[in-house]
Amino acid sequence: MARYGMALDYKNCINCKACEVACKEENGVELGAEKHRIWVGGNNPDGQWPLLDIASAAFMPSQCQHCDDAPCEEVCPTHATYYDENGVVRVNADKCILCSYCMNACPYDARYVDDRTMTVDKCTFCSDTRLARGETTTACQNTCPTKVRTFGDLDDPESEISELLRTREHFSLKSHLGTNPKLFYLT
Amino acid sequence: MSVEVSRRKFLQGSVALSVAGASAISATNLLSSEHTSENKSTNNRIPSTMTTQTSTGDAENVPFLCGICVNKCAGLARVENGIVTKLNPNPYFPKSRNMLCPRGNAGIQTLYDPDRLKYPMIRIGERGDGKYKRVTWDEAYEAILNGTDKFKGLKQILEEEEDNRATIAYCNGEGLSKEGFEVLVGEKIGSPNYVDEISICLETTLGGYVNTIGTYGEADLNNADYVVIAGANRAEAIITPDTMDMFKRTKGRGLKTIVLDPRFTNTAAKADRWYAINPGTDLAFVLALTYVVLKEELYDKEFASKHMEGFDDYKNHILSHNYTPEWAAKLTNISAKEIYKTAREFMAANSPIYYQGRRSVFSKNDFQLRRAMAIFQGLSGNLDKKGGIVYGEKLQLPKEDINAPMYGQAESRFDKEGIAIPSLKTGSWIVLRNMVLEGKNPYPLRVMLMRKHNPMSGVPNTKKTEAFLRKMDLNVMIDILPSDTTMFADVILPEASYLERTSPVASYGGLEPAIVQRKGAIKPLYETKTPEVIYKELAEKLSKPLWEITKKFDEDVQDDTEGMSEKEIEAYYEENGFNLADPWEKPVHEQNKERITEAFGEEAWAILDDKGVYYPNIDEYHKQLNPNEFQYYPEHKKNYTTQNEKLKVKCNLTNLTKKGVDSMPTWHDDYEFKVPAGKFRLVTGRHAQFTQSGTTNNLMLRDLIPTNYIWINNQMCDKMGIKFGDTVEVKSNIGKVTIMAYPTNKIAPNQIFMLHGFGGSSEHMEIASHNGANDALIIEDIIEPVYGAAVMHETNVEIRKV
Repeated sequence: MARYGMALDYKNCINCKACEVACKEENGVELGAEKHRIWVGGNNPDGQWPLLDIASAAFMPSQCQHCDDAPCEEVCPTHATYYDENGVVRVNADKCILCSYCMNACPYDARYVDDRTMTVDKCTFCSDTRLARGETTTACQNTCPTKVRTFGDLDDPESEISELLRTREHFSLKSHLGTNPKLFYLT
Repeated sequence: MSVEVSRRKFLQGSVALSVAGASAISATNLLSSEHTSENKSTNNRIPSTMTTQTSTGDAENVPFLCGICVNKCAGLARVENGIVTKLNPNPYFPKSRNMLCPRGNAGIQTLYDPDRLKYPMIRIGERGDGKYKRVTWDEAYEAILNGTDKFKGLKQILEEEEDNRATIAYCNGEGLSKEGFEVLVGEKIGSPNYVDEISICLETTLGGYVNTIGTYGEADLNNADYVVIAGANRAEAIITPDTMDMFKRTKGRGLKTIVLDPRFTNTAAKADRWYAINPGTDLAFVLALTYVVLKEELYDKEFASKHMEGFDDYKNHILSHNYTPEWAAKLTNISAKEIYKTAREFMAANSPIYYQGRRSVFSKNDFQLRRAMAIFQGLSGNLDKKGGIVYGEKLQLPKEDINAPMYGQAESRFDKEGIAIPSLKTGSWIVLRNMVLEGKNPYPLRVMLMRKHNPMSGVPNTKKTEAFLRKMDLNVMIDILPSDTTMFADVILPEASYLERTSPVASYGGLEPAIVQRKGAIKPLYETKTPEVIYKELAEKLSKPLWEITKKFDEDVQDDTEGMSEKEIEAYYEENGFNLADPWEKPVHEQNKERITEAFGEEAWAILDDKGVYYPNIDEYHKQLNPNEFQYYPEHKKNYTTQNEKLKVKCNLTNLTKKGVDSMPTWHDDYEFKVPAGKFRLVTGRHAQFTQSGTTNNLMLRDLIPTNYIWINNQMCDKMGIKFGDTVEVKSNIGKVTIMAYPTNKIAPNQIFMLHGFGGSSEHMEIASHNGANDALIIEDIIEPVYGAAVMHETNVEIRKV
């Protein structure tokens, strides 16, 4: 039993998308540009050449926020979406009827349809693969060139992520929605 | 936060693209006859799906070195039941520091690419039409030696050329087996006409730095506090450890970062300041920085007097030429105020670095630009020390002795026209090719032996490259994919990819030196063979027949062997290196073991063979610091300072004057950036998700960047009525391409940009074929005057919506 979360030192992100590829290869995610569990959002810089606003061109790695109060879980009519014993928001593909309520409910747009199984798929924190083998990092964290991510147990005060959240300022995405995400962006 | 977090990714989804999805792959051609698809596999060594979820069962983790680009990151291949299911970073290699980039992660898709070359093949159609016949390895070697009804073999050609080995030219791509091909064709077969990626890449950068400070060096970005990064796009052209070190400390976190690039790159997005410099005018910028520093006496005086040779000459030169920021502002598009600020900040910083850069040659003045950059670094005194450009150390491997035969009939290389300092080793691609096309070669050049190299995409002016290849009597290609160049080969030898072979050990120097070994994660797929086995078998096939030709024409050999018995002649053949196969008597893994054991002992070999990485005291030094970081060497063991008194910065290279090269970096009027009205300057570059043409058939990467677009200034697009996704024709003096438009504010109104490597013409690469535009079709084949390296950013083009 743990309460898994992730801290993202997002200013390190160079939008290389190594995380996205590692995730797809590790978890056997379907190929296709729109089929991905994690991604990097990027803004075009504001302004006109050559007076561009550098600060507006930040990169934002994103994925399922593993909310403690997940709207996707609330709306699922078949309880296909559930919290596992480690607080990870999961989808039971056998129960999913592809009503897509969860996709509409998710404020983070973190879900997509796996066309092979015709069910909704999303980030699992590598629960079926790396964590199941006893590894302590997710594929995205492990491969990252600039080491954006730190995954770990929020309930363990000794964990690296707990230490980071105690010592670094951070924010959550769309915190006003009250979803209580377990992804934390370090500033 | 106003940052976009939507999964709808930039550039994707807005335009319907005809990119084949995984399930749409079909077996349509001979080269791809043994296909995998989403649902069935004809070979149990090939995974049945494009991506495979890793299991929780048993797996081997085989240390490999990535072969997707030149950087060589270390990884561990997870192998389950003989199938590679995942590539993970190897935490032991100090250079790549436990990371794999997107391309490294996607290497599995190259290994299992359905379009891979699977069998040896012989051309049965005309060159370029892609018609080949599957043959056995021996039949392929036989065709190289004796030809077919479609092409001549080496034996006949060398007979006709009376054993002039220089009639054979060869080209080679970067990699751990590169040297072996040079040994085979250069040293053993005896061809002097070698060209490779150097003359279309970083030749002037290396030359400029080595001639000025004695090394290209390593930028210690972990400890620097100020960096000027000009024309190097480390967020997208990933180099380790530079990329990793740099971006952990940008954005007000210790490393002030000034980016100069004609376009706004991902590196610019991480900068404190971005200067949209005019292409090819970096030299004016550096000269003006130097002017400020010398005029205001901001330089490290003690360092200058101790280590800078010709300092007074250079000071006079810069000041007397009046290279003021006001002068440079007009040329560079960077204001004088910003130049003053950068110069002063640089010298006030504790550990400033003017980043050396790498990549292609920008402009004709590139050699002098690199010299000026190296000297400017010297002025800060921040060389050979922590936080500066450091020299590092290298762990020496035992030298391998090659018994290279002497061929009396072999002529020397000729690709020297228009070059001040012709390179004897790597030559000039453009000059070699163009001299042959213009009939300026002093003897017939008739054979092209090629490996892992795609000059149809990489060398400017594809039409000329095609004409050059068509002119040859015999073309041979060793590669893993049927590239555009492969389609001009008469014999194709399929090589095992980097995940299927154990490669010769390599030593990487620097602050934290290490030795690495790539081990084959799986056995070669299909009928492919490892490069060293191909070299050996080809050498065995050619050795005796070519020896007969040497005996017939080579008077030195005839004199030496006169009166000898058959047995004595055989001994002479062996002793003098005419047995072409002798370097490959032992398999690679065995050679590695011998070399490492000899140099570092048995324990070192055991560590290397197990971990893929070795350096002295690795067991003691290597520590995990936190989930993301490792210690490779303790701080006091890093090679920050190695030169001390030996360190020299050569400001004035007077011997260059004899060669017609400026002895000190000097601006000339013809360096000015000029674009006629109605035209655009073409700039090219890299992307984090692609390595030139080598990865354009990779499905995983194709999801990230479906094609290359042409960047056109958005306001210019408004005037021209061009919208995102419109097809435009781009035309230069030498050719034209069509490509989709990407209107953007990230580029100047008189410039356009396109990613290099797209627009392949080989029909046998289903995903890459005819997707996007090949920039080599329109980049003019201009060389810089020092080494004859290809200049990539001096082509003006016209564009129109079609």
